Amino acid sequence: MNVARNKQPFDAGRAAYLTLNGLLLTFLLAPIAIVLVFALNPTPYISFPPVGVSLRWFEKFFRTPEFTNALWLSLWIAGCVLVLSIVIGGACALALARGNLPGRSFLTAFFMSPLMLPAILTGLALFQSYLLAGIGRPVWGLIMAHTLVSVPYVIRTTLAVLHNFDRRIEEAAAVLGASPTRVFFEVTLPLIRPGVFAGGVFAFIVSFDQFPVSLFLVVPKGETLPVVLFNYMKFDLDGAIAAASMVSILLALSVVLVLERLIGLKAYVKL
Amino acid sequence: MTSATIKLDNVTKTFDGRVLAVDGVTLDIAAGEFFSLLGPSGCGKTTSLRMIAGFELPDSGRVHVAGRDITDLPVHKRDMGMVFQSYALFPHRTVAENVAFGLRMREVPKPDIARRVKAALAQVALTGLEDRKPGQLSGGQQQRVALARALVVEPPVLLCDEPLGALDRKLRQQMQFELKELQKRLGVTLVFVTHDQEEALAMSDRIAVMNHGKVEQVGAPTEIYERPRTRFVADFIGEINILEEGGRARALRPEKIRLVSDGARVSGTVDTANFLGGSTLLRVSIADGRSLLVRETHAGERASRLPGDAVGLAWNDADAVTLES
Repeated sequence: MNVARNKQPFDAGRAAYLTLNGLLLTFLLAPIAIVLVFALNPTPYISFPPVGVSLRWFEKFFRTPEFTNALWLSLWIAGCVLVLSIVIGGACALALARGNLPGRSFLTAFFMSPLMLPAILTGLALFQSYLLAGIGRPVWGLIMAHTLVSVPYVIRTTLAVLHNFDRRIEEAAAVLGASPTRVFFEVTLPLIRPGVFAGGVFAFIVSFDQFPVSLFLVVPKGETLPVVLFNYMKFDLDGAIAAASMVSILLALSVVLVLERLIGLKAYVKL
Repeated sequence: MTSATIKLDNVTKTFDGRVLAVDGVTLDIAAGEFFSLLGPSGCGKTTSLRMIAGFELPDSGRVHVAGRDITDLPVHKRDMGMVFQSYALFPHRTVAENVAFGLRMREVPKPDIARRVKAALAQVALTGLEDRKPGQLSGGQQQRVALARALVVEPPVLLCDEPLGALDRKLRQQMQFELKELQKRLGVTLVFVTHDQEEALAMSDRIAVMNHGKVEQVGAPTEIYERPRTRFVADFIGEINILEEGGRARALRPEKIRLVSDGARVSGTVDTANFLGGSTLLRVSIADGRSLLVRETHAGERASRLPGDAVGLAWNDADAVTLES
């Protein structure tokens, strides 16, 4: 009796659910697995099935100054974009959620609009604007461009947190003697921080990964990693590309994990 | 602990320039009094409380505390305590840090903060939970933290916005006793907003019954219950029969009506009999389709009236309170 009861009857719904999720995960992760296989395969061209395991492409990647310079430039830009987006996006979201601004929904749509424009258009438009303004193509121009397309992510995640924010908590602090400034730094800021940083992670990755906007705004010898990789691929298609991709993925992943550890992105954030 | 008088002087508040939330409210609250603002949602009780706290500015009228006009004083300079229905604890801080917050804002020296936080937590029976986060506490415990956080700064005025509304019945009753006891012991002036008439009757020294932004009646619980001035107050507090006699409305509590066999004023038939434990509430149909509520208290055995029984009803004239029209 007991043994028979322990046997679970076949559940078609559950099986379908697991299969679908399995397929989705495979679809998402398989390309990464394939890139890893190519990065470790020692043949001088991308081929399948792999014939062995070697780190020669990683070695080539890190020994080529063209790659490493681009990597550091991309990291540096993404870091700047992270900081700028957090400050600008956080401030925007606070103003939109709290400011009682006239035309609030219009302003929200306006600030989110870089997400709706094709990035290649944004890149072209900025290129022409910089040209007309006589700015040229300095690194700070590139940082500004990346920030422009990254800020909406911070606004979105911060607004999500502010939407669920119980303002009585701020009122409680005020009754207890906290001035508006202290309320902001003691209560508001710590409570919206997870949302702001979640957006910051997106901003970092959007910048680090940015190709269409960068394409128009980089100068020779000052190219970001995606642009360098694209140019490289036009002539060579060896494992160095796959190795570079793996390095990018691992860097992006570690940024997410570090921020998760430091701030607990999961807390309060409902996207 | 010090306590302070509170005076609302003809205070009015509209929202969005249209909705009249509070309409010419005048209240005099004595020092050390447990004062309730009672009424249905939207009656202006919470807005009145928020004007005392300073979250809302009155459109006209003044707010005085301890004889001083504080109408234009910002919230953080009013030196009050407040407890919210949602508790509004700081979720990112521990219990001890929550309680210490007000002391920290007042720049109390650190050793004193530690001592006073400890005492405040002991006062609400939360010793040992100092290092928990609010999310790890039950609703009742969170409410106690909120209370300790408000009281640790020894405010002369404590404002409570439906503080027990989120608790279940049993816990709520227990907290009613505790809060009342604490308030008497500390002597703090307490303004208590509630829509629960039983809660207001049980705890308050005086009650202001509010409706549509106006104060309908102010008085001690017995006065509000026994001598309601308006039809709204009579109807809002407990069960009531409204008798129309010669163009005047009179209110008669169900327990003031006796079931009699001789000398009945009216006779009727029992419609329903709701057994309530200590008493039974009868609805008795009388002439012309009207009915009266009659409370029959019973000592020991259950009342004998059943639906369909014919009964005679009597009451004293003095128990029927004439209402203002």
